[in-house]
Amino acid sequence: MTLFIQQLFNGLALGGVYCLAAIGLTLVFGVLRIPNLAHGSLYMLGAYMTYFFLTAIGVPYIAAIGMAAIVLAIVGVLLERVVFHPLRNSPHTHHMIAAVGAMFFFQALAQVIWGADFRRMDSPFSESVSIAGAQISWQRIIIIVTAVIVLSLLAWFIKRSIHGQTIEAVEQDRTGASLAGISPNTVSMLTFALAAALATIAAGLVAPINLLSPTMGAALDLKIFAIIILGGLGSIPGAIAGGFLLAMAEVMTSTYVSSAVGEAIAFVVLVLVLAIRPTGLFAKAVQR
Amino acid sequence: MGPSFTSRTARALAAAVTTGALVALAGCGGGGEAGGGGGTITIGYSGPLSGGAAAYGTNIQDGMQMAVDALNEQGVTVEGGEYTVELAALDDMYQPNTAATNAQRLAEQDDAAVIFVPHSGGIQAAQELNSGRSSFLLGAYSSDPAILATGNPLSMMIPPSFKSYGQPFIEQVKTDGVEKLGLLGTASEYGHSWTGLVTEEWEAQGGEVLTDNSIDYSTVTDFAGPVSQTLSEDPDVIFLGGPSQPTALIIEEARNQGYEGSFLIMDQAKFEEMELFTDPENLNDSVGVMPVKEYEDPGTADLVAAYEELVDGERPATVEVSLHYQSVALVVKAMEVAGTVEDPEAIRGALGDAMGEVDDRFRVSGFPTTITDAGHLQNEDLQIAYRNDDGDYEFIAIENAED
Repeated sequence: MTLFIQQLFNGLALGGVYCLAAIGLTLVFGVLRIPNLAHGSLYMLGAYMTYFFLTAIGVPYIAAIGMAAIVLAIVGVLLERVVFHPLRNSPHTHHMIAAVGAMFFFQALAQVIWGADFRRMDSPFSESVSIAGAQISWQRIIIIVTAVIVLSLLAWFIKRSIHGQTIEAVEQDRTGASLAGISPNTVSMLTFALAAALATIAAGLVAPINLLSPTMGAALDLKIFAIIILGGLGSIPGAIAGGFLLAMAEVMTSTYVSSAVGEAIAFVVLVLVLAIRPTGLFAKAVQR
Repeated sequence: MGPSFTSRTARALAAAVTTGALVALAGCGGGGEAGGGGGTITIGYSGPLSGGAAAYGTNIQDGMQMAVDALNEQGVTVEGGEYTVELAALDDMYQPNTAATNAQRLAEQDDAAVIFVPHSGGIQAAQELNSGRSSFLLGAYSSDPAILATGNPLSMMIPPSFKSYGQPFIEQVKTDGVEKLGLLGTASEYGHSWTGLVTEEWEAQGGEVLTDNSIDYSTVTDFAGPVSQTLSEDPDVIFLGGPSQPTALIIEEARNQGYEGSFLIMDQAKFEEMELFTDPENLNDSVGVMPVKEYEDPGTADLVAAYEELVDGERPATVEVSLHYQSVALVVKAMEVAGTVEDPEAIRGALGDAMGEVDDRFRVSGFPTTITDAGHLQNEDLQIAYRNDDGDYEFIAIENAED
């Protein structure tokens, strides 16, 4: 039972990170129909920016994540303007190639600035707390709580605020939205900014329990693609459910079956979803 | 039309960014000038200079470059001619095929008679061509004994074989009442070989081996899950290890979750690096390979200090740095002894004689005292390190395993 509780918390924390990262990817796909393979690199840059603000400038942890999120939002906008916007009328393969190019570019950039070696970011919350015999570190509790807060704010933003509603409008019908006076350009930039900021929050939260390296985004990329396919491409509730489901599946399979299966589970799920229900759990009309 | 023009410029810009990324990537390879002309000895190196293992590859490059600089400062004379040593480094991103292509290129274009490759896959790929059309001595840095099993006549295996470690590691921690071994190694090919070795040895010494929880250290986002799972079976000793930094994190996680037993740490992880990534106290009661600074070779202290200065104290010199440092000096000395800078067979043949003549400054971490017929550089005084409960290192002499 202790093991189960321990793994439940580990799974929730992992799920929080996964879904924060996956939402950005699914938003970008929903609005621009781009499978942004560079999303993991934005996550990586977000982790390094948090590290930079925390260690070089000395701002407190939570503020460092916030500042990094703002910087990455700007990077996200630049990425959209410089790379994807000019390609808006090109075939889809061009977007993918450009995204791969951007991914390599960001990795090389991080290696030049911060070096190739691993870096460790210390958490101000290093203590752990005992819940029903399980040792849960405060950092993981903070991940879970922050993920819930950020997700609620996001839901409010998309559903209630005027800017958020424009994102949803463009997702649903690009032509219709522009006829109603919504600028697709603004929405594209807003989406990229939001996606990069969310990835940064995920990265800033996970950095203290993992390590920073220029390739840290590559492993995550595969997982979050599996998540958004599981949840339904472009669907936000799908990304949330998919993130937690995949994390739980991973942790619980590792625990009760074997770690090798646990690591492969994301791809088993992916294959099953594609075979049985290709639209994902929360089918969103994917045009084309 | 304006829009089409801007769209074209913007597209060109996007293309430039993409190309730039690729160039930046390719550029990481660096590269040396073509040697060949009379006064230059080119030492070739193909290793991961970008990608996930870039830190490993660039550390090695630093160690080799330090040796090259020191040799040039001293002066290298072969058969009465003055030579300048140069390092030609190419990036292989840890890919065996790329390593083989690089090796071919270094041998043919840069006339390198000696080429270093620091990963088992790349070594085995390069072994297929080093005694065919191109011929070069392969400086093989991998503790996997498989690289000698090929019987390649022009290979020089640099580190001790990992087989030497299994039995003494286990004897160190398997005291009375210690029964259960948890497995939490890295899921690389090398990690699996190690897991197999300790499993076999632990069972041979009458212990019980628990579930294999090997995970890929580079893709797991949170180590807490696999650690909880390993601890749930209540192990007395945990075997683990991969790159030092994630290894340190896993050890810390296990200690945080209340684990008090010992760790058996495979040779890829280094105490001196782990100490920087976690409270060193977490590492108490662990057995692993000896930190470089603990060697008492004549050049150890100077190298450790020089390396620290080179990297601004950001990371310690590990055996990757020190073994390459001394190996480069050894092959250049072998060229002097053999009286040739071109003939790899003669250089290989002179390695044994050259050992005694290498300058003291290059003797840094278990400088080899003998080379086996298969081409394995060995030091007779091989030792392992045990970090005891007080955080002090104890050193235990061990035997070199048979090739």
